[in-house]
Amino acid sequence: MSSGLLARLWTSIRRTAQKPAVRQLPYRGLQLANFLCALHLFADHVATLSYVQGPSMIPTMAASGEIVLELKWINAQKLARGDLVTYVSPLDPTRPVCKRIIGLPGDVVCVDPTGTYAPSTEHVVVPKNHLWVSGDNMAYSRDSRVYGPVPLGLVRGRIYARVWPLTNMTVFPGNFDYID
Amino acid sequence: MAVRASRLVGGMLAGKKVVASAQSRLIGRQKRLRLGVGGCSGLRQSSRDFVSKRPTLHWMLSALVWLPLGFFVTDCVGNVKSIRGRSMQPTLNPDDSQWRDVVLFNRFAVRILHKYKRGDIVALKSPVDSKLVVKRIIALEGDVVKTLPPYPDAEVRIPPGHAWVEGDEPFRTEDSNRFGPVPLGLIESKLSYIIWPLNRMGPLGQPIVARPDATRGSPDWRKSKADLEREKWRNSRVTIAPSPRTTP
Repeated sequence: MSSGLLARLWTSIRRTAQKPAVRQLPYRGLQLANFLCALHLFADHVATLSYVQGPSMIPTMAASGEIVLELKWINAQKLARGDLVTYVSPLDPTRPVCKRIIGLPGDVVCVDPTGTYAPSTEHVVVPKNHLWVSGDNMAYSRDSRVYGPVPLGLVRGRIYARVWPLTNMTVFPGNFDYID
Repeated sequence: MAVRASRLVGGMLAGKKVVASAQSRLIGRQKRLRLGVGGCSGLRQSSRDFVSKRPTLHWMLSALVWLPLGFFVTDCVGNVKSIRGRSMQPTLNPDDSQWRDVVLFNRFAVRILHKYKRGDIVALKSPVDSKLVVKRIIALEGDVVKTLPPYPDAEVRIPPGHAWVEGDEPFRTEDSNRFGPVPLGLIESKLSYIIWPLNRMGPLGQPIVARPDATRGSPDWRKSKADLEREKWRNSRVTIAPSPRTTP
């Protein structure tokens, strides 16, 4: 009784496996994998929508979280002061972090105007190939005041605009001004 | 959209069986559309004929289409590169070798698993000029390292999320003794296996053990003893941070 059932099951499996749709399945699977790889590479190297969350960039970005357009196809040498950059956190290699560029290589930066991490008179020269970054909400932000200048090798992308919530879509302006 | 694109692509560049079935489907569709709008499928069929008659164009387009898979593999799984320079002698590119070492770079362990171990040989982006350099991880966060000149401090405690990397050849290397602890985010891949030359083919980054099978005094025995001494010297300069124990 059971062997008859097994034999019927086996023949039905064999028949399904010979159907043209099923025989093409591995190739279609490979094509799907190829397409997903192309999507992944696009998200990694051209542009992607990212979810940003946290209190360190208030009032520019809300603490509760929003979706932004992150450009990955950037020239690290063409970054400007006032740009919002995403980089891998020097404290934790699994976490991407977004902050604003304050100092480019060669700039002399005041380490902490608020005086929490260093006396407000302390200044530092940003070394070659590094950036000085700071969160807009200096009261609650771990940035270059904590871990020092960030090497350009960690930088992943530049945040261009907020796309969600739809009522608040904006292109983030650079906020760098010279004071004479 | 994805399925339509893959069907077009698959139809254009597939093997014989799939082309046959796709063409039979297309011929059926052409028959149905002959009275109506036949322009799109006609273009598809003529472009398929164009490509199938030119085998060079066929394989070039195939390579182009499968490029994302290849890029993904070199980006997230691993790739093979040759090593330049003397900073990792004698582990890599020793003086008695005629060829530059060709090594398998394991990106999966670093990019996906984020596994870093003391003694691993890694490729990282240098903080000084963002160029890829190959060094060995000597210490991880919390460890205390006795540094070599020209580092200004005699001892350094590695901050969280950072590592201390050094080249095996202390006189010809630009490493953490010059630019200090590096964030782990700069590490790109782990060197896991030497592929060329064949006489030194084998895994990299393993702890060195004295080889009991080599006869005492032979060149192999002397080499393994020298490797062991170098490893002991490297490890002696590191005080490993006590791992937090939860049991009292």
